[in-house]
Amino acid sequence: MSDPFEAYDDLDELDDRLNAADAGERRVAIIELANSGDPGAVVHLDRMTADPDPGVRQQAALALGEFDGPDAAAALAKLVVDPEQPVAHAAADAMAELKDPASADPILPLVSHSHAFVRMAALRALKELRRKDSLKPALDALRDVDASVRVQAIGVIGFLKLEESIPALTSATADVDPHVRRAAVSALAFSHLKPAAESITRALADSDWMVREIAAETLGTNTNGLQAADALIKALADEFWQVRLKAVRSLGKMKVTKAVVPIGGCIGHAQANLRKEAAAALGEIAMPEGRKFLEPIVDDADPEVRKNARWALQRIAANSATGS
Amino acid sequence: MPLASYETSVPVVVDDAKCIADKGCTVCVDVCPLDVLRISDLTGKAFMAYDECWYCMPCEADCPTGAVTVNIPYLLR
Amino acid sequence: MAMDQILDGLSEVSCDVLVIGGGTAGPMAALKAKLKNPKANVVLLEKANVKRSGAISMGMDGLNNAVIPGYATPEQYTKEITIANDGIVDQKAVYKYAEQCYSIIEELDSFGIRFLKNENGDYAVKKVHHIGTYVLPMPNGETVKKAIYRQLRRARILISNRYMATRLLTGTDGRIAGAISVNTRTAEILVIKAKAVILCMGAAGRLGLPTSGYMFGTYENAANSGDGYAMAYHAGAALANLECFQINPLIKDYNGPACAYVAGPYGAFTANNEGARFIECDYWSGQMMLEFYNELQSGKGPVFLQLNHLHDDTISEIETTLHKVERPTRGLFHEGRGTNYREQPIEMHISEIGFCSGHSASGVFVDEFARTTIPGLYAAGDMASVPHNYMLGAFTNGAVAGTHAMDYADNTDFADFDAADVARERDRVMAPTKREDGVPPNQIEYKARRLVNDYLQPPKVTRKFELGQRRLAEVRDDMENRMIARNSHELLRALETQSIVDCADMAAHASLYRTESRWGLYHLRTDYPEKDDDNWFCHTLLSKKDGKMSSEKRAVEPYIVPIADDEKDLYDKQRIRASA
Ligand SMILES: Cc1cc2nc3c(=O)[nH]c(=O)nc-3n(C[C@H](O)[C@H](O)[C@H](O)COP(=O)(O)OP(=O)(O)OC[C@H]3O[C@@H](n4cnc5c(N)ncnc54)[C@H](O)[C@@H]3O)c2cc1C
Ligand code: SF4
Ligand code: SF4
Repeated sequence: MSDPFEAYDDLDELDDRLNAADAGERRVAIIELANSGDPGAVVHLDRMTADPDPGVRQQAALALGEFDGPDAAAALAKLVVDPEQPVAHAAADAMAELKDPASADPILPLVSHSHAFVRMAALRALKELRRKDSLKPALDALRDVDASVRVQAIGVIGFLKLEESIPALTSATADVDPHVRRAAVSALAFSHLKPAAESITRALADSDWMVREIAAETLGTNTNGLQAADALIKALADEFWQVRLKAVRSLGKMKVTKAVVPIGGCIGHAQANLRKEAAAALGEIAMPEGRKFLEPIVDDADPEVRKNARWALQRIAANSATGS
Repeated sequence: MPLASYETSVPVVVDDAKCIADKGCTVCVDVCPLDVLRISDLTGKAFMAYDECWYCMPCEADCPTGAVTVNIPYLLR
Repeated sequence: MAMDQILDGLSEVSCDVLVIGGGTAGPMAALKAKLKNPKANVVLLEKANVKRSGAISMGMDGLNNAVIPGYATPEQYTKEITIANDGIVDQKAVYKYAEQCYSIIEELDSFGIRFLKNENGDYAVKKVHHIGTYVLPMPNGETVKKAIYRQLRRARILISNRYMATRLLTGTDGRIAGAISVNTRTAEILVIKAKAVILCMGAAGRLGLPTSGYMFGTYENAANSGDGYAMAYHAGAALANLECFQINPLIKDYNGPACAYVAGPYGAFTANNEGARFIECDYWSGQMMLEFYNELQSGKGPVFLQLNHLHDDTISEIETTLHKVERPTRGLFHEGRGTNYREQPIEMHISEIGFCSGHSASGVFVDEFARTTIPGLYAAGDMASVPHNYMLGAFTNGAVAGTHAMDYADNTDFADFDAADVARERDRVMAPTKREDGVPPNQIEYKARRLVNDYLQPPKVTRKFELGQRRLAEVRDDMENRMIARNSHELLRALETQSIVDCADMAAHASLYRTESRWGLYHLRTDYPEKDDDNWFCHTLLSKKDGKMSSEKRAVEPYIVPIADDEKDLYDKQRIRASA
């Protein structure tokens, strides 16, 4: 009877098979190398990055994704610049799974590569590696001509969470591309200092609704968000209910008492999601003034709305009982 | 009791021209959770041997050459 | 060798810790056991292939129940689960999960598994429930299994793919002694002696028949045929609250999650045919399923997942997740039907019944150390009784089981077992291959599962259950005396059919024992429509006693997180009563 356990393959035997004349056979050998899980397989895979067959190189990229560390990263760095798209894409995805900070070494130089795809892939990989020496190249990349590169650069900067990068992120909130602006606002969430709160507040007036939405949401997590209360209250009249909803939620979270009436104004909105959040926020703020908005909806046809309304009224009652 | 066989149209299709099972590949057969794919003795290519599919996709996702297509089983379509 | 030819063969191996089931909990259990004692032998036995097996074969689109500092606390989570499970909870295990799961998330992240993060690198936790915030999306979660498999290979775990465990071996002293398994492609038998065994064989997902009639179109991974439940039962372990069935909301016919947890945070919701929300209940529970069921039965059905009020860009974002991860054929299904999230709502339905603690509370009884009632036997994941623990619970409790099992194995020796047990099991396993003539397993399985739908599906009616039991006994007789298997693949299905029929019997027995209604639709008994806390505020334990199925009560452990009466009330008041 055959061995019941998956083999831990003999790498040398597999290495021989990498020389097969047939590309299909070389691919199969690569698959087995990947399955081995043995970091010793990386040198063998590295050899395949120069294979004449693009299918084989793509397989090598997928296989390298099973490993981590500078050697695997160096091999992937060769494949991510491959002229064949499927190869380059497979390598880019594999690079994004690297976790060992030492993997950054062979990737850093790619940030200044002539192809935007390579620059983007390099920054995407660097993000998770959180290496301080990727800050400088990432800051430079904020001036990249390609918006997808700038988005990834923001990720690298944001993941590092360094106060020194606030000015750069702040200027990125004025980028021409809305995806970049969105990313910048989200990245700024790490800082609880005033400058970050201020640039997020400005983003509440962005021309793109998704930027406004993320700004409204992020302010609720910022300890200086309270200073943005007026701007958030203004956002309650945003033409997109999605933005209003996040503003309501942030105002509720921060318990902004002067927001009770404007939030109450959202209770009549046609979008049930918004009405529900408005009811919940009035409960979080727990001011008696909220009652007049909540009482008419305790029997609302929408169960989420009436549930939140009832809960909110209980909160208000409890709050006035304890007098806090 | 005598048995009769019962025809069914299977959801998974393999493109023989792309399949490299004849080079030693068995990836789709290996990964299938329901163990319903096999390599044909006749053609040397992979095929769906049993109509017992969870339409879950590992066979398609992991095939190195993109030879596998998973369709929704007819009864569910 | 002809395809799936039956070979007669038997071999024996031994190891310190044997993990059965390499889906979600199993790999984590094996890894932790090995890390605990790198010198020990750890075997991971899997019916399919660990690389792509189990519920998460194509990843998951998110963690449903992540307790992440700053968003939720273990106390809060324990409270929610206690309330969602109508109070029948041993809180210690739930609390332990809640305390440990964040470190498991961090560990999974270090394996290269990708959770949704904000651009500042923090986890982008989403609020779906009313009280806590527990949902962490995984839009790139399709690589989960790949990442875990990588860890197993690196730790040099012994992996045995394509072996289906059929029975546990217990020692003459009552301790666990190992397990018997059969190769699904050759029918060769492998006996594995072990000092400790961890059961991670997932839900009993092939119990009810999906409404499409396609036997493998189940909610659960169809490889999860309830073997773990059957094996635990035959070994004499206790199984808890099996009457608390699993029934899930899903995309009609496709039978996969519609995914309120993915689309919910973006503003999607479940609506009736008037486009109005109707679900009162906050947490995924039997109560929620009852509301769903009632709406379906009322003139206001069918029920839909409503997304068409969302912005185009938002829908695109949702689609990239839903059509790539977890059940990636969802997109293909909608395409075939000509449904587009932007234009039409998605018709939903409820799933066939099953056992599953991951979504409900029916599982092999375990304590907070994942110990079953048999010394040396552990269980984790969907098949162990820690309620509502989903994927992260499988990982976390798998880790708990792995660590403790190795601890146990390190301090014990192999238990002696009776060699006749192996011979008997070999005869039982091979019996369908020895018959010349008979009924193939697919017909027996179909019939058993059709009977489950006809007689055991809630609302539960005593008279129907009694009839169902009688019909199922007839099927069992066919199965035991007339089922044939003409190749080893068919033998795999034949053995699965035996687990399915065992589970059906257990479902019927456990349901009749609890003479009250509880857990919403999961245990809605028309002859006992009310909840009866005086007599039934307890677990029920089902086990094999003197060769027969028997049930008993077990007190709920004193709470460690007290639930104030008004909290219970607050929750209750928001609910539609079953009897209303
Ligand atoms: C479609 C779907 C969507 C879900 N979505 C989510 C979600 O979004 N978020 C979330 O948190 N949770 C989700 N869950 C729940 C979560 O996936 C499960 O709770 C969890 O993965 C269960 O892990 P497990 O190890 O218990 O079972 P599984 O991962 O299913 O593993 C069981 C394993 O045992 C093997 N096995 C079975 N019988 C035998 C035998 N006789 N011998 C050997 N091996 C055997 C199986 O092949 C399988 O590999 C979802 C579940 C499903 C089915
Ligand atoms: S994975 Fe693809 S190439 Fe390999 S055997 Fe299957 S169909 Fe053929
Ligand atoms: S879709 Fe899933 S069950 Fe069907 S053949 Fe592919 S891997 Fe197997």
